[in-house]
Amino acid sequence: MADERAPAQSGAEGGPEDRHFGHADRREHAAPSISLKADFASNHGTDEATAGAEVVLDVRDVAVYYGDFRAVGGVTLPIRMNEVTAMIGPSGCGKSTMLRAFNRMNDLIVGARIEGLISYHGIDLYAPNVDPVEVRRRIGMVFQKPNPFPKSIYDNIAYGPRIAGRRKGLEEVVERSLRSAALWDEVKDRLKDSALSLSGGQQQRLCIARAIAVEPDVVLMDEPCSSLDPIATNAIEELIRQLREAYTIVIVTHNMQQAARISDRTAFFTTNVNGGKRTGELVEFDFTDKLFTNPGDQRTEDYLTGRFG
Amino acid sequence: MTDSRSDFHEELERLKSDMVRMAAAVTEGVSRVTEALLRQDVAEADQIVAADDELDLLALETEERMIEVIALQAPVASDLRKVLVDLRMVMEVERSGDLVTNIAKAIPRLQGAELSPQLRGLIDQMREEAVKLFRKAIDSYVEGDAGLASTVDEFDDRLDALHVEYLDTLFASFGTSQLTPQQGFQLAVIGRFYERIGDHAVNISERVQYMVTGRLPAHAGAERARARREAQEQAHR
Repeated sequence: MADERAPAQSGAEGGPEDRHFGHADRREHAAPSISLKADFASNHGTDEATAGAEVVLDVRDVAVYYGDFRAVGGVTLPIRMNEVTAMIGPSGCGKSTMLRAFNRMNDLIVGARIEGLISYHGIDLYAPNVDPVEVRRRIGMVFQKPNPFPKSIYDNIAYGPRIAGRRKGLEEVVERSLRSAALWDEVKDRLKDSALSLSGGQQQRLCIARAIAVEPDVVLMDEPCSSLDPIATNAIEELIRQLREAYTIVIVTHNMQQAARISDRTAFFTTNVNGGKRTGELVEFDFTDKLFTNPGDQRTEDYLTGRFG
Repeated sequence: MTDSRSDFHEELERLKSDMVRMAAAVTEGVSRVTEALLRQDVAEADQIVAADDELDLLALETEERMIEVIALQAPVASDLRKVLVDLRMVMEVERSGDLVTNIAKAIPRLQGAELSPQLRGLIDQMREEAVKLFRKAIDSYVEGDAGLASTVDEFDDRLDALHVEYLDTLFASFGTSQLTPQQGFQLAVIGRFYERIGDHAVNISERVQYMVTGRLPAHAGAERARARREAQEQAHR
């Protein structure tokens, strides 16, 4: 089972514009990491006037390639602090690929590389001496299918902090994380039970709690509600609204109405057919209410109203 | 381009046709009631009053279908703006139909009143302008033509001017004409009904502009209040 906390291989080659990642089983001794600043304002919330003003993830003219194949391109997308940014679009438009680029999950795929720049609080995420493990701690991810570890509820949450070297105060971390994920009351009396005994919706909230236990400031979500029923979906959406105060959230969803309900801004991607293959591109990025009442691009309008080319 | 929501969009097209039908009933009604007024045809006036019930029923049924569309189809973007504008238009058209009825109801009260050639001429001109305005507004809706819609307000100025002229002519005649006070009052109010129909046409044209451009019409009063609010906020910073 994929464990997104597992140490990944760092070590980049190639010029500044073109970041290749080593074969999955190559081990390299990385140069000392640039330490990513530990004192971000976002974990303490921001006041009304500046909420959302600062760009946390600055995505500049980014394309993602798998070998020679350009999966998605033309992406310039400023992700702002304490906002929920949604990415929508038809299958194959590259939204999930782009999401994975935000925390270097694509590193785990052979031949994956990006062009362009993704900077996180001003630091180039793909710079040679950036530690991808640290990236994934700061920029956490929640997946479509809940994937709790086959461990107790407690150990699921404690795992990340333990790996990071924490020995004391784990109980507080576990409680805090489960409370933040609106799960504490339901599981506080059975923390030693297996995580797999939870319902789908509870498992997904557990995965969210697990992600925030290591104190990220960005949480990426890849269709987190796709496998959940409407009640569980509502609970997650409610949770996302609350989490926005302390975290920055990027969510990929194929449910337009969900994007409309929970996001501050929405990015619409579309597919182009190039030589028989579908590639993705960013079409439009705007405040969600504007996009859903009066989109600027005809392609966005067509997609939202159900007219597909 | 495949339309994956063709049932929904076909319903929107049907709603559009129904809106056009209702608007045609109104413009026809304006002409009919004017002729009845100038001929003092009470029987025709009664029929016009009864016909308004049909318009009311059509308006109600259309509104119900629009609500259903919103509840079941969750329209967004241009589809949403279209349905919202349709909802407003039903209101404007239905109210315009009521104004036609108001004119019709005045006809029995004007039995035996002598209308001077000037007054008759002005009434006929107001009819012509009101019908023109309404048709322009509806054409702009059918064509999705924001440019045409934006001209309706200007043309309404003509109707407003005619209304003023009509009132001036009416009041000037009070000393010399045979009109009773009640008849004079009734005639003055009739002028207002034509002018109000023009206003509804302007409202429709503003909504059409919103439907096409996505920008709500600027209202002088709202703009003034907004400017005052911003000035106050500036002063407090």
